[in-house]
Amino acid sequence: MNRYLKLVNFELGRFIKVYLVLIVITIIVQVTGIIVKANEYLAQADKAIYEDLMPQSQFIEQYGQMSFLNFARSLWFMGPIALCAAALAFYIFLIWYRDWFGKNTFIYRLLMLPTARINVFFAKATSIFLMVLGLVSVQLILLPLESTILKWVVPTDFRVDLALSEIIKFDYLAILVPQSFIEFILYYGAGFMVVSVLFTAILFERSYKWKGILMGIGYTLLSIVIFAMPVLLMIVFNQDYLYPLEMLAVETFLGIVVLAASIWMSDFLLKKKVTV
Amino acid sequence: MIEVKDIKKKFGRKKVLDGVSFTANKGEITCLIGINGVGKTTILNAIMALTPLNKGEILINGEKLNKHSFEKVTFIPDAITMLPQMTIADAMQFMQDFYKTWNQERATELLGFFRLEETEKIASLSKGNTAKINLLLGLALDVDFLLMDEPFSGIDIFSREQIAEVFTSHLVEGRGVIITTHEVHDIEHLIDKVVLLDNGVVLKEFNSEEVRENEGKSVVDVMREVYHK
Repeated sequence: MNRYLKLVNFELGRFIKVYLVLIVITIIVQVTGIIVKANEYLAQADKAIYEDLMPQSQFIEQYGQMSFLNFARSLWFMGPIALCAAALAFYIFLIWYRDWFGKNTFIYRLLMLPTARINVFFAKATSIFLMVLGLVSVQLILLPLESTILKWVVPTDFRVDLALSEIIKFDYLAILVPQSFIEFILYYGAGFMVVSVLFTAILFERSYKWKGILMGIGYTLLSIVIFAMPVLLMIVFNQDYLYPLEMLAVETFLGIVVLAASIWMSDFLLKKKVTV
Repeated sequence: MIEVKDIKKKFGRKKVLDGVSFTANKGEITCLIGINGVGKTTILNAIMALTPLNKGEILINGEKLNKHSFEKVTFIPDAITMLPQMTIADAMQFMQDFYKTWNQERATELLGFFRLEETEKIASLSKGNTAKINLLLGLALDVDFLLMDEPFSGIDIFSREQIAEVFTSHLVEGRGVIITTHEVHDIEHLIDKVVLLDNGVVLKEFNSEEVRENEGKSVVDVMREVYHK
């Protein structure tokens, strides 16, 4: 356990500079974005009211009041989130491959540590999980700050104020910020399962090279089929066999099966098949 | 004792190891000799479970390799295994964090012996200093066995002398060493046991001291006989 925690700390340390850059980009772009979007709206209002002599009530009726969601739908808000998501998705692969390639083959050191090799897998998965949680936390801290900036810039008559609890129900934010503990377990558990399946696919490739690429793709497809089986069956037979709650229970069970299979397979590959 | 029993390994269709067997004892320096590509590194990788075998078995002190074995046996590859952005101090700290058998006193002694600075970055090390750091990270562990892959490969004469000096010092005393090389001249006088490899098989396994005393032959003489047959 101790060595696992040290490995997690070590893995986090290796990505910390890029991670901090991602956080800084998110803060700068989103804070700039809320100011730009708010000023755009006000400029539009100024033009309509002072140049085109449109009554304020008509402007609001025609263009609507500005709310945080106007900003949340813009590239200023979604762009940094997409960038962070893409960076972490890329990092799922980089976190393994960088240890094999290059002049300094760190994988030698990792595989020769006096600890179960599966701890390397868990440490890498945990560090990605923690990074996701960290970025979501930063976003949660930014939301009220951005909401306050909106209030400073846009006068009360021209805006609709939304509480944080309302903002996080918006579209994709509802997935990033689960509304309950059950949702947290479901969304982040599914995320952890996806990361584990991809890690297993990478380890297939690292164990069997060219054949391993096919095995990795096959394993990933098989995992998708198993996990999506209830949904696929419903589509194929065009019938709702299960109530939503039953569906949730079956999906949770299948998710656990896929996750457990990935961990078992990765443990086997790391112990018996992996090649430096 | 490390027992390598009838190990076989193929890379694609190429047989690299075809039934290799030998033993390496604690307190002895065992040298695996053969030309490049003969499978020397593969044997060391296999001992550390860094490459899977098609057949055969390797036992360390009578047990198959497990997570605890890495506290008893260490591998010093010919490439640095620490991250380029690390300093030597970081690399030593990493080892101290993960290995119970890390001996800081010995590490400091080796640092002085090799005249290396803790603040030097791994990325900036020369080939010779890289070999020395690899050796330091391996030797500073209180392990029973050291596996060294081509420690003299591509390094200058002074670094070679320094590394060779380590083999005669208390730093290696009492431990088992398996070393691979295709340049035997530097360490001929230090070797206890020789395993000559070719085409994936052991051509000859002998005790260098016995051959020297009984037959008046050096390791190189035996190599000439075996490889020129």
